[in-house]
Amino acid sequence: MREAVELGARFGADGRFLAGGTDLLIQMRRGQLRARHLVSLHRVPGLGAVDIDDAVTLGALVTHRRLEREPGFRGALRALIESAEVVGGHQIRNVATVGGNIVNASPAADVVPVLIALDAEVTCVGPGGERTFPLEAFASAPGVTARRPGELLTRARFARLPPNSATAFLKAGRRRAMEIALVCVAARVTLDAGRERCVDARIVLGAVAPTTLRARAAELSLRGQPLTERARREAGRAAAAECSPISDVRASARYRALLVATLVERALARCAERIGQTA
Amino acid sequence: MTATRVVGRSLPRMDAPGKVTGSAVYAADFALPGMLYGKVLRSREPHARLVRIDASRAVRLPGVRAALTAADVADVRYGGSVKDEEVFARDRVRFAGQPLAAVAATSLEAATAALAAIDVVLEPLPPVLEVAAALAPGAPLVHEGWAGYAALPILHRDGNVCNRARIVVGDVERGFEEADRIFEQRFTTPSVHQGYTEPRAAVAQWDSAGQVTVWSNTQLPFEIQNTLAEILQVPLSRVRVVVPGIGGGFGGKLRVGVEHFAALLARKTGRAVKVMTTSEEELTAAYARQPAIVELKTGVTSDGRLTAREGRLWFDTGAFAGSGPGVASVATLMLAGPYRIPNLLLEGYAVYTHKTNFGSFRAPSGPQANFAVESQMDIIADALGLDPLALRLKNIVREGEEGPTGQVLTAVGLDECLRKAADAIGWKERRPAPGRGKGIACGWWTTTGGSSGVYLKINPDGSVALNTGAAEIGTAALTGAAQVLAEDLGVDLTDVNVVSADTLSTPFDFGAQGSRTAFAVGNACRAAVADLKRQVFALAAGHLGVDESALELRGGAVVAPAAGRRATLAELARLSQASGGGLIAHGTFVAPPTAYDAKRVEGHVYPAFHSPSFHAHAVDLSVDAETGEVTIHRYVVAQDVGFAMNPTYIQGQIEGGVAQGLGQALSEEIVYDGGRVVNANLTDYKMPTAVDVPRIESILVQHPSLVGPFGAKGVGEPPNIEPPAAVANAVASATGVRITSLPITAEKIALALRERPR
Amino acid sequence: MARIPLSLRVNGEAHDLAVEPHRTLLDVLRAELGITGTKENCLEAECGVCTVLLDGMAVNACIVLALQCREREVTTIEGLAAGGALHPVQQAFIDLGAVQCGYCIPGMILAARAYLDGNPTPSEAEIREALAGNLCRCTGYQKIVDAVLSAAGAEVPARR
Repeated sequence: MREAVELGARFGADGRFLAGGTDLLIQMRRGQLRARHLVSLHRVPGLGAVDIDDAVTLGALVTHRRLEREPGFRGALRALIESAEVVGGHQIRNVATVGGNIVNASPAADVVPVLIALDAEVTCVGPGGERTFPLEAFASAPGVTARRPGELLTRARFARLPPNSATAFLKAGRRRAMEIALVCVAARVTLDAGRERCVDARIVLGAVAPTTLRARAAELSLRGQPLTERARREAGRAAAAECSPISDVRASARYRALLVATLVERALARCAERIGQTA
Repeated sequence: MTATRVVGRSLPRMDAPGKVTGSAVYAADFALPGMLYGKVLRSREPHARLVRIDASRAVRLPGVRAALTAADVADVRYGGSVKDEEVFARDRVRFAGQPLAAVAATSLEAATAALAAIDVVLEPLPPVLEVAAALAPGAPLVHEGWAGYAALPILHRDGNVCNRARIVVGDVERGFEEADRIFEQRFTTPSVHQGYTEPRAAVAQWDSAGQVTVWSNTQLPFEIQNTLAEILQVPLSRVRVVVPGIGGGFGGKLRVGVEHFAALLARKTGRAVKVMTTSEEELTAAYARQPAIVELKTGVTSDGRLTAREGRLWFDTGAFAGSGPGVASVATLMLAGPYRIPNLLLEGYAVYTHKTNFGSFRAPSGPQANFAVESQMDIIADALGLDPLALRLKNIVREGEEGPTGQVLTAVGLDECLRKAADAIGWKERRPAPGRGKGIACGWWTTTGGSSGVYLKINPDGSVALNTGAAEIGTAALTGAAQVLAEDLGVDLTDVNVVSADTLSTPFDFGAQGSRTAFAVGNACRAAVADLKRQVFALAAGHLGVDESALELRGGAVVAPAAGRRATLAELARLSQASGGGLIAHGTFVAPPTAYDAKRVEGHVYPAFHSPSFHAHAVDLSVDAETGEVTIHRYVVAQDVGFAMNPTYIQGQIEGGVAQGLGQALSEEIVYDGGRVVNANLTDYKMPTAVDVPRIESILVQHPSLVGPFGAKGVGEPPNIEPPAAVANAVASATGVRITSLPITAEKIALALRERPR
Repeated sequence: MARIPLSLRVNGEAHDLAVEPHRTLLDVLRAELGITGTKENCLEAECGVCTVLLDGMAVNACIVLALQCREREVTTIEGLAAGGALHPVQQAFIDLGAVQCGYCIPGMILAARAYLDGNPTPSEAEIREALAGNLCRCTGYQKIVDAVLSAAGAEVPARR
């Protein structure tokens, strides 16, 4: 890792770190990105681990394939699996990494909304040492993050969820696989001890703003409420009002807003079901 | 029909082993030592004056061996129906993607760098981007010199219209007066791409005698030979086109694509040159399906009898006529549908715009016209309170009745197809649950004519060589033809070897298009076997000392059952080779013309369907009331194939054709903005994946054709026709919402649901 | 660009090459080694015709740099048949009529084989999901799915 960091520092903005290459190489071929040096990480040890103890740490080189098969994520952290398993096809998931997905900072990223819903932090390493950021604030524009040229993103980490919590992830596309989301939604809900009212919620939206977006007003609307159909629908409407989708070749802004409202409602319903199921 | 031994059985296709082991070579794989790589510079402007083009900087770059522009090629216009096409834009650019220059270099990177070094000055002109704009009075002409172009005399051309085909039967105005209700609807469909997984590719090499060989994945080697001879200005006999293997065609690999660039660059450099298209070039400058606008006005009595139809279909044919005039003609037959309508005024227009010259895609005009016709049938049924199936059964043509241009229809299996498809989908329960509905659509199609020749030879080991000019595009048509051959000759399929698609050494074939290959090559084989049989029997009679009339072909041998004597084909072949030059035969076939009433048609390139097929599709689907997403539960096809030569591979055509049709129905469109394609990549051109396509249930109906081998009809194109209409009808049944434009996306459904008055 | 020495193991055989760093595995297989069973099309990991196995895992060779394959095993379609006998998946593709134009087939077979190695008794839905990254335009996927079910020893839905 030290060698990687040194090379990163040496090449600076002329270099990029290469993991799975599923974004990087395609962008280079399309001429959207130029890099004079590629530093391949595929043999750097220590970056590919999933550590689950008090916190969950995902090494930057953890592949989507690894994520979707992690038994420890089948419970409250289910959305990690649900988001990983809809990224591209097997060929992509076998090599595409969490770190790459975060650094690529596409507003339509699938795993990123889930990590934000889990209040994840990410760590970058440069010659000067480590810097850690809340993932929510990491990307500032499509493809633009707080990572300095030459810095290596090494991990994402989030705290374990409190009891009576669940997550869910939903994605809309024009076809059922190999899709860049028209809209995707990650939801996380924590209910009180009696499993009646919501104590905390995260609603995170993809593909409806320049970066992955937390729908804070929608989240607030759920605080202290039972997750009734009405509350879920209100949250959906609030989330739709908070985002700023564009019309492009994939979908119109109006349809995206409609999808946000629907998918938020359904993701919250799924969370409620899941919390109920663990009773 | 008596049981057959080889034909009619689901035998494994002959070329499967090479394909599953990776040893089969496609044109995209073909390479020669010392080969150069060619790339094409294409315009970014949809309409412009080409002021200046200068490749002198490009040629000086390392590795670059040639750069050609219009100045370097003969000023020749070529084209099928209208000779309006040119290799490179000469002084006018007519679509974004039109070739301006081509380079050859020692590597792809060097070739790409060379393109960037070509200086081009374009003066943009206002483009004509929609049919309506092209037809407006005073519209700029896409081809100012249109009147001076050589063209098929039968075409009706005028300015931006490169053909108007028309069918007139009876008196539509009177027919409308007879009607109790008149329905008028308008439908639109975008361009869609064939989506073959192998890019177009060609390798060209000239020899010292001034002959060029081009290895290409074309579906029509003899047509390419013709076009190249025109472009290169050499005699036909100096051009040889060979097809090593094709990774899918669907009509997109009919006309010249990269062969001419390869040949021109190879001539200039004296080296072999390979040119391949990229995904971007495929989606911007290929022979995709014409966008269409259909206006349909139909009169009907209150008990559901169709009395009159006035229909117009406008095809955006792009910058060059190409297939447009022919497609506009076929469209008129499709607008009539397989229905009995005594009064018709049907017109198909092919209109120039500043877009790529769209071409032929599996059942050209079929999905567009059928989407309109079959959607309207359901609209009519709904308004009259009739069952859509009953409405169709009441009006479909029957055995011995007339088609729209007066041809007499035989082997009409449509009633059986409709009933079986409806039965299989459970038509009695059309709306099984809220948000769920079933839809039906039916149609007809042709088995394209044109001639085919084959040579046969019996080898000294008893195997049979089948030498055909047809290319195998993946349908297993040549396996089917070989099955016909094996059946007639008394051998097994595994005894047959196929050599195909070489303009020098194989006989002429009209090409792998229009669902004709198994039909025509199969029939040519039957003729050739008859010839071969005569020779074999003559030789065997002498050899065995029996009369020819006592002989039979059985199990790879000639047997004289009464005399108890036998000679294998291998023995006879060896005998003939030693003393008679070998057992060699040839056979040809051309479909007899279908009689029709010439007074009913104008500007018509395709006035009758040969050995028509009939088909019905039924689908059961649900619609998500919030998102509009469609989930297909069941999809059934009943197709009248005449005679199922090889049921497994016919099912394969149906399953694949429906999948491709569902793509057009639900998710695919080439999107233009200001004359440029905005989704020219496979990320945003959305073809169905394995997760998107449901299981398709195929019901093979057999009403034997009078002409096809063992009664077979063409099967490859039809499955692509009905999916959009079937889906539209099922969505309407499920939601009450009628979508009249393709693709029927979840977005369109969701927004239409929200717009409905409550 | 300077060429870098690379020993590339393909189908059990080591090849000593010198490649420029930007060359993809697909490029090297087809143009340098002349093994054209692995196909090229979109070059953007959207269509799957370039699928090969890297240490047994299905990947798109068009976005793998050749130099990333050092000390790894590359398996192409040519490496599947052992000693002349077809792999059961290859045989099933023939028997079930799953091959039409054949251009997607090498990638499809490898993706299927890699999936079956990890999940020997898949359902139809799982197979479809496993092949989502391999586009086919000819077959509609049905007989391909049937072939994989058959190779896995599962019951294939009723064939007419």
